[in-house]
Amino acid sequence: MGVNLEVAADGRRRLVTTRDEAFEALFKSEYARVAGIANRVLADPQEAEDVAQEVFISFHRLHSASAQFAPAWLHRAAAHTALNRVRGRKRRERRELAQAPEEGSRTVDPQRMLEVGEDRRMVRAALARLAPKPAAVLVLRASGLSYAEVAQAIGVGTGQVGTLLRRAEAALRKEVTRGTSI
Amino acid sequence: MDDPDALTGSDRRHYMDCAACQASNKGMADDARAAATMLSAPELKLDVETALKRVQAAPAAKPRFGFSLPVLRPSTRPMFAGLAAAAIVAALAITAFANILPLFQPKTVQPVPVTFADLQALEQLSAYGTLTWSTQPKPQIVLTAADAKAISGLDVPVVSKLPAGVSSTVTYAAMPGAVAVFTFDAKKAADAAAATGKSLPKLPSGMDGAKLTVTVGPAVVEVFGDMNASSGTNSSSQNINLPQLIVARSAVPVVTSTQVTAKQLEAYILSMPGLSPELAAAIRSIGDPTTTLPIPVPVEYATSSKVSINGDPGVALGDNTGLGSGVIWIHKTNVFVVAGSLKQSAAVDIARNLK
Repeated sequence: MGVNLEVAADGRRRLVTTRDEAFEALFKSEYARVAGIANRVLADPQEAEDVAQEVFISFHRLHSASAQFAPAWLHRAAAHTALNRVRGRKRRERRELAQAPEEGSRTVDPQRMLEVGEDRRMVRAALARLAPKPAAVLVLRASGLSYAEVAQAIGVGTGQVGTLLRRAEAALRKEVTRGTSI
Repeated sequence: MDDPDALTGSDRRHYMDCAACQASNKGMADDARAAATMLSAPELKLDVETALKRVQAAPAAKPRFGFSLPVLRPSTRPMFAGLAAAAIVAALAITAFANILPLFQPKTVQPVPVTFADLQALEQLSAYGTLTWSTQPKPQIVLTAADAKAISGLDVPVVSKLPAGVSSTVTYAAMPGAVAVFTFDAKKAADAAAATGKSLPKLPSGMDGAKLTVTVGPAVVEVFGDMNASSGTNSSSQNINLPQLIVARSAVPVVTSTQVTAKQLEAYILSMPGLSPELAAAIRSIGDPTTTLPIPVPVEYATSSKVSINGDPGVALGDNTGLGSGVIWIHKTNVFVVAGSLKQSAAVDIARNLK
């Protein structure tokens, strides 16, 4: 089967004269959500679009657009790629914070954090400190994915999503409080 | 307990009286509200068309002779069924034309131009019967050629000289033989016919339940290139590098049929009402009057040419994008494939020097 599969697999990939059409359809139906997930993590529309496009390019390189797992793959990749960017950002921020220690001494009420860009960055830094799975659950759910879609994207049963989500919400709140009162 | 409104009966009564439960629920609700507030994000204004153009313009997104290696990912299982259906129709058509029953074994290879519509049409075959695996394909990834041989019983081909730039890291995949059975189902066929408002043509005797058995493999595949070196920064996005070179060997597929000849079965399916022109064309076009293994060549992406590999006729596929090529040929009862992101001449050279 290996050989036949190679031939067929290759054939299948290359057979897709409508491959581009399939990809286009996938792109149009998922781009807004993928960019939305990245934006939820990054709170930066421009960088979110960068991430979304990067994710689609990787997907196109590796998989067929007609694959059943395509949306779940994209959602997950968007969350993780964006979280990785925040982690990179966080390292930068830590350096900046070390240079400006008085910044870290104030406390922040999560309810009032909404308006300020600086606070948004702190929330993102806290998000990036969570373990990858809870962080992804939070972001995907906040981006409007259903429990079932979240479950597929992170590879757990739908029944586990509620519990994961609740723990992740508590953990995020704790991280934010901790991160802003060092 | 996330939602007090969702509680019923005694649970609800308990909740109303229990300060601990209420406090716990309030805590969770506060967390959820806080998370929602904290995770608010600036509004996105998207121009999907422009973004699509940018993604399509990315050089890496070009179609290439890359393999997504279905053997590596369980998530692609459904593809196996599709491929098996394709293999079966191909085998069915060839068998019919070759009229060699009950045994069919291809001796040579023949490129057949197909379009995507043809292949998709094959999926409609499920309207006329059931496809089952009597022996599931069980591909395994192993680390040594010896393990691959132990699983498949095949000697692993040895590449005598790797082209410059091809990693010497080899991953082996091996699979014992797998057996797929397509069972013609008169009731399904009648339903398919009824869906078009027509009745089923008269069944030849023994047609209902006629089985076509396709044996594929065993097979071994060698993948050159570091598959685990992640091109991204995390493994969760399932990134694997495209293999630079793939060498594969498999026993040729063997087809047998029961009750009716494959030719009868094929002729009957072709006579069905409601059969799409695409499926009919696919069934007809794949067939070849000789005992050939058809190599589907997607017309837009590849060109094919005939080559001789140490006396055995083969087909070389070149990619119009210039990003990859491959050679396939049959030697005795085995099919061999050499493919990768190589020049066609390099692929042919490797093929000729395989030990």
